Amino acid sequence: MPSRSHQYIALVASLPHLGKLFSRKEVPISEYRLKQRLAMLEPAHTRLLREIVEVTAWAGVARYDQDLDVIRHATAVIADLKDYPDLQELVASRMETRTLIAALRRRKDGQEAAGDIQSWGFGRWCAQIRSNWSDPGFGLGHFMPWVAEAHRQLLADDHIAMERLSLTQVFDQLDQVGARHEFDFEAVAIYVLRWVIVERWSRYDQSEARVRLESLLHAALEGPDATGPDADPDYPEDTSLPLEGAFS
Amino acid sequence: MNEFVVALGWFGLYAPVALGAIGSAWGCALGGSAAIGAMLDSDGGYGRFIGVSLMPSSQVIYGIVIMFSLQQSSVDAANGAALFGIGVLSGFTMLFTGIRQGEVLASAIHASKAKPEIFGISLAPAAVLEGFSVFALVFALVLAGSIPS
Repeated sequence: MPSRSHQYIALVASLPHLGKLFSRKEVPISEYRLKQRLAMLEPAHTRLLREIVEVTAWAGVARYDQDLDVIRHATAVIADLKDYPDLQELVASRMETRTLIAALRRRKDGQEAAGDIQSWGFGRWCAQIRSNWSDPGFGLGHFMPWVAEAHRQLLADDHIAMERLSLTQVFDQLDQVGARHEFDFEAVAIYVLRWVIVERWSRYDQSEARVRLESLLHAALEGPDATGPDADPDYPEDTSLPLEGAFS
Repeated sequence: MNEFVVALGWFGLYAPVALGAIGSAWGCALGGSAAIGAMLDSDGGYGRFIGVSLMPSSQVIYGIVIMFSLQQSSVDAANGAALFGIGVLSGFTMLFTGIRQGEVLASAIHASKAKPEIFGISLAPAAVLEGFSVFALVFALVLAGSIPS
């Protein structure tokens, strides 16, 4: 076992338990402290973590104007993570979740067919979405029941409940992969991704968030694209990249 | 041939100490790394984190005891093979249990930081591994008594 493992054991052990999603009002570790702890990462891992956060966090995706650019960026990041298949799976799953939410929003906006889904969608479910466009759960309801539930919440204009549902889905993905890693780079990356979500949620003011989310959605749906910013569960209160400066 | 068996005998005589020391060093480094990390995230209880991280130290002590029990007035063709077998196998036991103990201690320290009430019970796997080391020690001592001198 290389000495680097000892360094990662110390790093992971120095990070406080984040707890369950929605269970805390504040993050247990500040951004400043987290940046300090992440200084223990190997330089190559620092670069990879920055890429993962950029492609999964809303603020990173918001920098792109076109969905195709987001998809290209995600594909490049996944290729870069060739030594970490679990992280590849996580990034791909996150993009697929975004694609499903984007499809739900496009359909609610009156789009009658998926159209050129390759230009705004990513991953395994594109063909399924295209051929089951009229089905509430895109034909995925039997093993992804949350899609049909999100559809119902979207129709009811209950955006906050839908955000909770999609965040829970993302958190579950992180938990599943996180169970396979305890003291390695993957464990650190998963911790940071969870921290980003918890930190975003801790900054929510429910009433303000509702107004802001609705205005964002209206603005976004007026434009041609829907996979990127407006489809992401952890929409921002600002557009600064989480942990910006931690990876320099 | 006799010289080879004698060489193996000396190898077996020192193996419990050497392999036990490696196991202890490795295990303490794993546990110690977790303890240091945990101290960054805690306001107290540092002593217990460091204390449990030193648990794998026992493997080298057991190795020393086994070495003394194997020690003969002379190492020759009659006792070389026995010294080699008992020494090397008990040494590998100390090496393996030391490393694994360090890993479970790191997990225990990390988990008990989030849930302090499980601190005691989280040490149970490390205690079981300690038990396996003690088995290897005791039966090495028993067998050492029947080695022809």
